[in-house]
Amino acid sequence: MLKVSNLEVVYHQVVLVLKGVTLHVPRGETVALLGPNGAGKTTTLRAITGLLDIHDGRITKGHVRFDGREVAEQKADSIVGGGLAQVMEGRRVLVELSVEENLLAGAWAVSRREAAEGLERAYERFGILADRRRQQAGYLSGGEQQMLAIARALMSRPRLLLLDEPSLGLAPRIVGEVADLIRSLADDGLSILLVEQNAAMALSVASRASILENGRVVHEGTAEELADDEDVREFYLGLGGDGQTDYRRIKHYRRRRRWLS
Amino acid sequence: MSTWLQLTVSGLSLGTIYALIALGFVVIYRASAVFNFAHGELLAFGAFAMISLCGAGLPWGVALAAALVATGLLAAAVERLVLRPMIGRPVFVTIIVTIFVGSVLRSVIFIAWGPQTRGMPTPWDPLTTVDVAGASLLMNSVAALGAGAAALAAFFLLVRRTKLGVAMRATASDQETALALGIPVGRVFAATWFLAGLFAALAGIFLGMFPRNVDTNLGFVALRAFPAVIVGGLDSAWGTVLAGVLLGVLEVLCQGYVNPYLGEFGRNFHAVFPYVVMILFLIVKPHGLFGTREVERV
Repeated sequence: MLKVSNLEVVYHQVVLVLKGVTLHVPRGETVALLGPNGAGKTTTLRAITGLLDIHDGRITKGHVRFDGREVAEQKADSIVGGGLAQVMEGRRVLVELSVEENLLAGAWAVSRREAAEGLERAYERFGILADRRRQQAGYLSGGEQQMLAIARALMSRPRLLLLDEPSLGLAPRIVGEVADLIRSLADDGLSILLVEQNAAMALSVASRASILENGRVVHEGTAEELADDEDVREFYLGLGGDGQTDYRRIKHYRRRRRWLS
Repeated sequence: MSTWLQLTVSGLSLGTIYALIALGFVVIYRASAVFNFAHGELLAFGAFAMISLCGAGLPWGVALAAALVATGLLAAAVERLVLRPMIGRPVFVTIIVTIFVGSVLRSVIFIAWGPQTRGMPTPWDPLTTVDVAGASLLMNSVAALGAGAAALAAFFLLVRRTKLGVAMRATASDQETALALGIPVGRVFAATWFLAGLFAALAGIFLGMFPRNVDTNLGFVALRAFPAVIVGGLDSAWGTVLAGVLLGVLEVLCQGYVNPYLGEFGRNFHAVFPYVVMILFLIVKPHGLFGTREVERV
C-alpha cells in the first residue's frame, strides 16, 4: 500500500538526513519504524506526508508511492485527501479549539455529511471525548489529547495512518491503552505505520518492523524476529542475552552493533 | 440627553468602523503573524473603487458589493504575490514589505484618482436625519453602525459555525498541524486576506460617508484604529471589536465633552485620545483586554 524506496532527504540544502530509506507497508498491516533520536524517523514521515517544505527540506532522490501513485511531490492537503493521515509527534492538539472543533479540523477533506458521521464514530470509539466535546482541548490530559489526536486523524477516513511516537510522555497504563487502540484500528482494516522509540510497545502491536539509524534502514523483519534478535533486545528492549544487562562490560567498551560494521 | 444620545450613536458608528479596520489587522496577524501596514491603503482603495463604480452608473448596492469584492481580491493578490514568497523570513522583513506595498498602493491610488477630495455617494440625501428618542441622528452614521454590526456578526458566525472558520482558527493556532490535517493553508491565507480586504473596504466606504470625505489620505485613518488592536489584545478578534467600539465612543464623547474645556489646546484632542488610552493600557495591561493567556495544563 505504501512503498518508500531509496528515499534521500536534504535539509537546508546541506544536511543529508535520509540516506536511501526503503520501507514497505502492506495493506492491512501494522509496520513499526524504530530508531534512536535523530535517526530520521520523523523526517521519513514528513517526506511521506508533504510536510518537508515548511522545514526547508527536499526529497533529492527516491520515491514515495501510495497505492501505486507517486506522492513525493504532492501538497500535504492532496495527500490527506488521497487517504493518508498522520498523527504528529507531541499530539499537537489545537489548544484553543474545543474537542469537537479539533475533530472537525481533521475533516476538511471529507463532505459535511461524512464529517457528521465521523464525529459520531469518534464519540462512539472514544467515550471520553464525547463527554468533553465542548471543552477546550488544551485542558485535556496527555492521554486524552493523544486519543483526540488519533480520533482527529481518523476524521478524514484514511486508509493508511501514520503515527509518530504515540506513547511519548504517557504513563505506562495509558501506553497500554494506546497499544490496544492501535490493535483495534488494525482489526478494522486500517494500515498503520508506527514510529516509536518505545520498541517493546511497537513490537507488541506491529507485524513487521524496520530499524532506522543515521538515516539508513539497518534491520528489517517480522516483529517476532526482531524481538528475538540479540542486538534489538540489548539496544532497544534493554535486555541482555540472559535477560540482564552486564554493566561491568558496558563500562569498558560499548559493543558494536553488528549491522553497522 | 439628546446631545448625549447623538454623540453616543455617532461614537458607536465610528467605533464599528474602527472595529472593522482593527479586525482586518487581527485576522491577518492571527493567520500569518504579519502586521499589515498596507491595510489603510486597501481601505482607501475600497472607497475610491466605490466612488468610481457609482460614477459609472451602477446601482448603489451593486457598486457596494463590487467594491468590497474588488478590494478583497486585491488583498488576496497582495498576499499571494508579495507575502507568500516571504514565508519563513523574519517577521521584521515581512512588516517592512507591507509598508512598501502600502506606499506603492498609495501612489497607484494617487495616480489613478488624483489629489482632489470627493464625497462618497449615498442612496439617500447625505444630510438625511432619523429621529430617535428626541435626538436627530445622521442617516449616514446609523447606516454605518448597521452595516458594520451586520458584517461583524457575519464574521463571527463564519468563524464559529463553518468549515472555513474552523480551518482558519486551526491555521492560526498551529500552521503545521493544519497542514498535516489536510487543510489547504495557502487557500486559507487567501481567504483570510480576502476577508480583511472586504472589511477594510466596508470601513473605507462608510468612513467616506459620514465623518469625512474621501481623499488620498483616507488610508491614514487605519492608524487611528491601531489603538483598538492594542487595547483589545493583538490576537483576540472579540477583544479588538469591543475595544474598537469603545474607543470610537470615547473619542466622540471626548470631542463633545472634553475638548471645549481645553480651549485652544483641545481643538483636536479627541484625535489623540485613543492613543492616550492605548498608552495607559500598554503600561497597565500590555496584553490588552483579551490578549493571549496561554492555556496551561496542570
